[in-house]
Amino acid sequence: MISPKKYVRATVFYGFFAVVTSGLVLQDMPSQATTPEDKSGAKECYESIKGATELVKKDNVVPKYGYPNVKCSPTTGAVLWYGDPYDDTEPMGDMPTFGDHTDGDFAQAVIRTRTKHLKTIIQNGTKCSGCHPAADATTQKNDPRELMMHQDIVSNATKLQHGRGAIWCFDCHNAANRDTLVDHKGQEISLNEPYKLCGSCHGVTYSEWRMGLHGKRTGEWRVGGKKRWWTCTECHNPHTVQEHRFQPIAPELPPALPRGMTKDDFKGASGHGGH
Amino acid sequence: MSEDKRKNDIDEGQDDGTTKESRRDFLKKMGVAAAVTTVAPAATAATTKAASIAEHLQTHFEMMSDSQKEAAIARLEKRYSEQFEKQVTVANTPAPDEVLFGYALNISKCIGCRRCVEACVRENNQSRDPAIQWIRVLQMERGNDTFELENWHKGSPSSSRIGDYGVQSGGHADKAVGISGHTDHYYEPEQVPEENAFYFPVQCQQCEDPACVRACPVQATYRDPNGIVVIDYNWCIGCRMCQLACPYWARRFNWSEPALPNEEMNPKTHYLGNRPRMRGVMEKCTFCLQRVRDGRYPACVEACPVGARKFGNLLDPESEVRKILATKKVFRFKEDFNTEPKFFYYMD
Repeated sequence: MISPKKYVRATVFYGFFAVVTSGLVLQDMPSQATTPEDKSGAKECYESIKGATELVKKDNVVPKYGYPNVKCSPTTGAVLWYGDPYDDTEPMGDMPTFGDHTDGDFAQAVIRTRTKHLKTIIQNGTKCSGCHPAADATTQKNDPRELMMHQDIVSNATKLQHGRGAIWCFDCHNAANRDTLVDHKGQEISLNEPYKLCGSCHGVTYSEWRMGLHGKRTGEWRVGGKKRWWTCTECHNPHTVQEHRFQPIAPELPPALPRGMTKDDFKGASGHGGH
Repeated sequence: MSEDKRKNDIDEGQDDGTTKESRRDFLKKMGVAAAVTTVAPAATAATTKAASIAEHLQTHFEMMSDSQKEAAIARLEKRYSEQFEKQVTVANTPAPDEVLFGYALNISKCIGCRRCVEACVRENNQSRDPAIQWIRVLQMERGNDTFELENWHKGSPSSSRIGDYGVQSGGHADKAVGISGHTDHYYEPEQVPEENAFYFPVQCQQCEDPACVRACPVQATYRDPNGIVVIDYNWCIGCRMCQLACPYWARRFNWSEPALPNEEMNPKTHYLGNRPRMRGVMEKCTFCLQRVRDGRYPACVEACPVGARKFGNLLDPESEVRKILATKKVFRFKEDFNTEPKFFYYMD
């Protein structure tokens, strides 16, 4: 049993020892490899879904600190860090009131405009209605069939798994106006506000999202502060969500191994070792 | 990066480390020696990178008067700005009133992408070489165990000197029939999440009764009014007692002079947060103190692509963390140590 007095003495002694000898000890300790950094930097980065949430890195968006809008990973192109969390956003606008505990303070909420980032729109240089005029609506039936186009979005439209066969394209896409979505009551919904559509079936998730438990926010931590809310389709691809709720992504590099050790030293399953 | 490449990097890093033991360090030591004997003002003519004599002799941050704090911050801003060749600010933003910071992490959502780790490094000015990281993501395979019937006789109890009575008496007890729950820090798949794996990120748990604070012999690490455990890097003597005391492996030590390229340095710093550290001091997660005292989410929260990380005020019943505590299956890591972490893990 060490008495408190001895403990204090040992503490002082060890502290002194550490200071005096630090210069000598340092050279013997484990070193770690360099993390590759964002030097010239990928200019095209993605947030949650690769191929659907791309954005362009802009320099000096916050001049006070010389911050770019985002910092991206040189190995995966993932957005890692936000210099300006509200870059390229707009106010979320009106949210339906339910009169329950999910009614938060939405006044300062902002969202990113999805239509500016949708690949199909960007590639074609026109809105959906440019190719699909409203006149089409009467001739289109909402029955599963092979698609002539958009196989990159839905590879096999006859086996669309969202809703496990119970729904098809026009249950969510508005046949009368292809630039919008539509819910089961016929209410037109903007592509930028998918939560109003998704929430009509996924009620529990929707209420958790409204409370801030489901999904992602950036900005201020205070309740009612200015936050960017990630909307449903910024993390989930509704066309493939049954295969992957979240589309797998490439991870960042692992930490460096302690000097002189290999990965096999940490394969604990064959014996003792590792943590 | 391949294994070999990394090994080379490590070796190079070592070489650098030894050759860089330089004039600067020599001057620094000389400077301290001079200060102790004569308090000679002439000794401040060291290189721009070296801390000034005044910096070495300043008192504990919480014991400084306002004017002393101002002077200390001005000294640091000058040194950092010269070193990193840009305008660096060292804030002394006070802790907001009536706030207790808490964190919640959804382990059923985490995909192990390590973006939080990299975001943290960019925000908090960690050394890039040797690479210091405050967050470590552990990967566990579902059902990974080595329990096999054919191994049953290989485990303890084994024969011993008192006879083969099926009891273990002394000797090595390391012949397990099997083990389970092994975690891997170094997983490197093409894509995450992997099938049958789950992930457990660990960082400072910001304990209410922190073992590290108790262990520190000079009170260089302490709990701030918002419940964040901070370090006065200038007061730290580098004894590493806190590192030993911490049950969460949350603390990192600067064994060598931190290497931080100028263009990657985050110039918005706080005295108790992400200002560049020096060799021989401890560092750790501060919930991005320089951000949260200004109202921003920590960098790891903003980096998480799946929204598994939640942060807020534990004293506000409307905050996200409080709603998680009220509605989810929550646990704290190594709760039996009674360190009362304010970092909560939860499941959907």
